[in-house]
Amino acid sequence: MTHLAYLDAGSGSLIVQAVVGGVAGAAVAAKLYWRRLVARFRRQPTDRG
Amino acid sequence: MAFSDTGVQAEPGSFRDPGNRVFHRNGEVLRGLDEGSAGDWRALAAADFFRDLLAAGKVCGTEELTPTPADLPWAAVLRHERIPFVSHPYEWTYGMLRDAALLHLDVLRMALADGFTTKDGSAYNLQWRGATPVFIDVGSFEPARDGEPWAGYRQFCQTLLYPLLLQAHLGIDFQPWLRARIDGIEPDQMRRLFGGTRRWRPGVLTHVHLHGAMQARNARASTAEVRAQLRAAGYSRELALATVRGLEKLVRRLDHRPGESYWSDYQRTCAYSVPDRQAKEQFVDRAVAAAAPELVLDLGANDGRYARIAARQAGYVVAVEQDPVVADALYRALRAAGERRIVPLVMDLADPSPGGGWRGVERAAFGDRARADLVLALAVVHHLAIGRNVPLAEVLDQFVALTAPGGSLVVEFVHPEDPMARRLLANKPDGLFPDYRRAAFEPLLAARGRIVRQVELPSGTRTLYQVVVHG
Repeated sequence: MTHLAYLDAGSGSLIVQAVVGGVAGAAVAAKLYWRRLVARFRRQPTDRG
Repeated sequence: MAFSDTGVQAEPGSFRDPGNRVFHRNGEVLRGLDEGSAGDWRALAAADFFRDLLAAGKVCGTEELTPTPADLPWAAVLRHERIPFVSHPYEWTYGMLRDAALLHLDVLRMALADGFTTKDGSAYNLQWRGATPVFIDVGSFEPARDGEPWAGYRQFCQTLLYPLLLQAHLGIDFQPWLRARIDGIEPDQMRRLFGGTRRWRPGVLTHVHLHGAMQARNARASTAEVRAQLRAAGYSRELALATVRGLEKLVRRLDHRPGESYWSDYQRTCAYSVPDRQAKEQFVDRAVAAAAPELVLDLGANDGRYARIAARQAGYVVAVEQDPVVADALYRALRAAGERRIVPLVMDLADPSPGGGWRGVERAAFGDRARADLVLALAVVHHLAIGRNVPLAEVLDQFVALTAPGGSLVVEFVHPEDPMARRLLANKPDGLFPDYRRAAFEPLLAARGRIVRQVELPSGTRTLYQVVVHG
């Protein structure tokens, strides 16, 4: 279960923290975007079906 | 806001986190916790880092009331140390905001290392004991969940980092921005201010531009979704720690030292002779001794000379200074001396902090917070009456409003013949202030209290009064 805080942390504000976290952080951000990209291509045929 | 049957007065600034609420009862500052927050508190109370923070005075003193009062609707109730005078970030100097930011990051770094985090990152999580910041939002701590970035980062940027960047990189006073926006400055607004080559200044490209762009691009993604994606991509606690260390390094670099302002040299150039100053110091010293005040308000504190004299015999001194440069110099001097009983604040006496936030009461107005046992108004009447055109009677009404009933007011009247008054009058049309004279001032003062002592300064153009205001 995802725990949500009382404060809206802001989606962009969460991701940018990976990017500012040095090389390892940038790798995490890159992986996140890569997965989003792959997911979009994978989902497309079934989404429209 | 009062529940009369239990004598509880809710703190109007504490409602954003429904799991824990601050309230007042019988002069005590208490915090009620629901089941979930009570569980977090018990884990926190057993954590080493929290004990270290308490021992170092970095977090306000906190203890649980046992047994939990049966008449209160909470799973647990905490009692907090009382902060001598609550101030708001828009009343702080640059150095204060920077030290507050550093303390917040320090607290967060220690928490993360021990498996905890803070739910938020607001400048309002901090208060002052003299020139020493203290983290007050004990309800903000919760166990950290692996793979999640800091939820308070955006708030930290908006209420602490961005105001520091504004001042350090652009030389713009941050106080009006924070006063006007309770949630701080938005990344989008910052991006407009930091265009062109300014984007290359330390911290700007990532924390402002990239942050703003990421917000725009992810506006439709929920934070739950993004948290799950980050966890799956391998975001770790080490990364969260690296971000905090990076922020600390950045804030340390933002050591803005402004140049001199008109008021910086005021004590030297304001035409005080040595005998005048000595007489004034003696007068203040005797007034403080007679009043034995818990809280002193020094209006127009300048370099803090009289605030320091007052602090020798008072519980706590709030030193209000209009000029941010002068107030910051005072803060740095007090901080270097480890002063814990004088807090410097930046505020224009002709434009005191109004109430802010929800219904205008979430952040109390200065006038609603300040009820001093002794108010020092030295060399300020002429600046308000001549410089700002405030009628003399209203100047005195304001001083009296800031004084507790039966408290004392020490006020200096600068005669119209005084060089400083003449300089101010020279900027206004002749005859604009016919009532600005001692013969008109004294009856106004006598109508508001009992004049117990008055002294003519050796120069002959300034008079000091000590008044016990009517209760």
